[in-house]
Amino acid sequence: MYEIWLAMNIVYEIALGIWPLLALLLSVWVALLVAARGRLGARQVRQALLLGALVAVALFFSVPTLTQSSLSNMGYWVDWANLLAIALGLGALAAVFSVPLLGLAGGRK
Amino acid sequence: MKRDKPTTHRAPQGAPTRRAWLTGAAGASAAAGLGLQPTAAQAARQATQAHIVIAGSGLAGIAVAHRLQGLLDGAKITIIDAKQVHNYQPGYTLVASGVWPVDKVIDSNASLQPAGVQWLREMVAEFDPAANTVVTAGGQRIRYDYLVVAVGTHQDWAQIEGMDTKAIGQDGLASVYPSSDAAVATWAAMDRFRQKGGQAVMTLPATPLKCAGAPLKMTFMVRDRLAQAGTLGKSQVTFYSALPNVFGVKAVNDNVLERWQALGVQVQYTQKLKAIDIGARRATFVNPEGAATEVPYDFIHVVPPMRAPDAVKNSDLAWKEGPMAAGGWLEVDKDTLQHRRYKNVFGLGDINGTPRGKTAATVKKSAPIVAQHLADVIAGRAPGEKFDGYTSCPLIVREGSAMLIEFDYEGRLTPSLPMIEPLQESYFAWLMKVRLLKPAYMAVLKGRV
Repeated sequence: MYEIWLAMNIVYEIALGIWPLLALLLSVWVALLVAARGRLGARQVRQALLLGALVAVALFFSVPTLTQSSLSNMGYWVDWANLLAIALGLGALAAVFSVPLLGLAGGRK
Repeated sequence: MKRDKPTTHRAPQGAPTRRAWLTGAAGASAAAGLGLQPTAAQAARQATQAHIVIAGSGLAGIAVAHRLQGLLDGAKITIIDAKQVHNYQPGYTLVASGVWPVDKVIDSNASLQPAGVQWLREMVAEFDPAANTVVTAGGQRIRYDYLVVAVGTHQDWAQIEGMDTKAIGQDGLASVYPSSDAAVATWAAMDRFRQKGGQAVMTLPATPLKCAGAPLKMTFMVRDRLAQAGTLGKSQVTFYSALPNVFGVKAVNDNVLERWQALGVQVQYTQKLKAIDIGARRATFVNPEGAATEVPYDFIHVVPPMRAPDAVKNSDLAWKEGPMAAGGWLEVDKDTLQHRRYKNVFGLGDINGTPRGKTAATVKKSAPIVAQHLADVIAGRAPGEKFDGYTSCPLIVREGSAMLIEFDYEGRLTPSLPMIEPLQESYFAWLMKVRLLKPAYMAVLKGRV
């Protein structure tokens, strides 16, 4: 349990360091959701999931390099599991963010 | 003699304030949701009018101040330290090996002080525990009811003849320890060295050290930088230890030595750096028999011998006998971190004369224990929880990979999560070191974890 609490605090501190960017992204996302209301459906969700999956795949291969390491430094299964979790988590965020964008791009249902 | 007056607007002894009730209720709800329900004794803040002085405003001093605020209602807390800049010292090795820019390790100390805590911007010059008083460099006498000593270490550069910390960065001279500026200068020296290669000399003194993994990390990194630059073939990295080993935990020591053997890093034992001729790039080592060896170098990483700051070393708070007496370290019980003779005094962080533990991770584990013990003593209870000496060292083995080593007083490896292999080099440990540990440090500093 302590480790969960620690992990939550780490995420909180990281967010605290970039909160203006996060606030901006959240505002943009909410504005996009409002603008796209009435244009969102299952199709946009499917497209967003596909986009999120593509982002996750891209991140899976690029996150080590972006953190001054490389795939050759993957030592054991804990490394792969963490990399997968990071890629899937950020991919999911990308999917959520893209839903209203896809709604706007696709026109009225 | 100045006697600080108690603060006003206090609740009667034993009666929680409305704020305490609200804080407790909110905290309990959140904790319950997380499965972190505190005990009944911890949930309510304890009313007290005690004056608690905290000497030192590094991670330990600020973290324990936050913790005490959470446990005590009405206490007057004073932090004494002249330091204006708060340095994230665990990041120094990253700066010194060219991984991080220096701004990642520098914060304003003013911005980190807990609200409601008095910050006296002076250094402690003298401890007088018999009179429950500290004396500042400016001559102020501050009385306390309880004292937390968190003044860190003194780097005893004077023990190395010819050493000049201002020359770090020049003539191949490097050291990660003195400051963030020295870390920057160390990277400049290492960067120049790796272009041509040559003889790298890495040193380790025989005294207790803060971050005893740093000399090993710097050795791994200088070897890695040489390999990256293509100059490893015409270079030799040699580690001169003043001890019969390179690290105090046997399993780690053996693992590091195996790695160094594979990497071509040589090791010389029981060789203590006695003197250095910076301009001539020559270091003099002595063995226990007093025989001196002069070693030429192109790059040298110097680790200073360490001891307690004079204010502690020269006071009655220091160990008077035993292995910690020579360094004047704080005489605390290793299990409770309470002073062995002055029961209203506790030690936290690098100053403690304990078998191991001079890292930020030690503070992470021990700050809540010290705060709780101090609250216990105020309430008339004996300190209960035992500190196991937890220490952690994310040991960088090259750029992009590290080992996440955690251990206790006994030198047993104690990984926080069962799936972590302490001696397995890994990307995850590297990611923790470069991206996650500073946020964790900030959470510790704020008394949350």
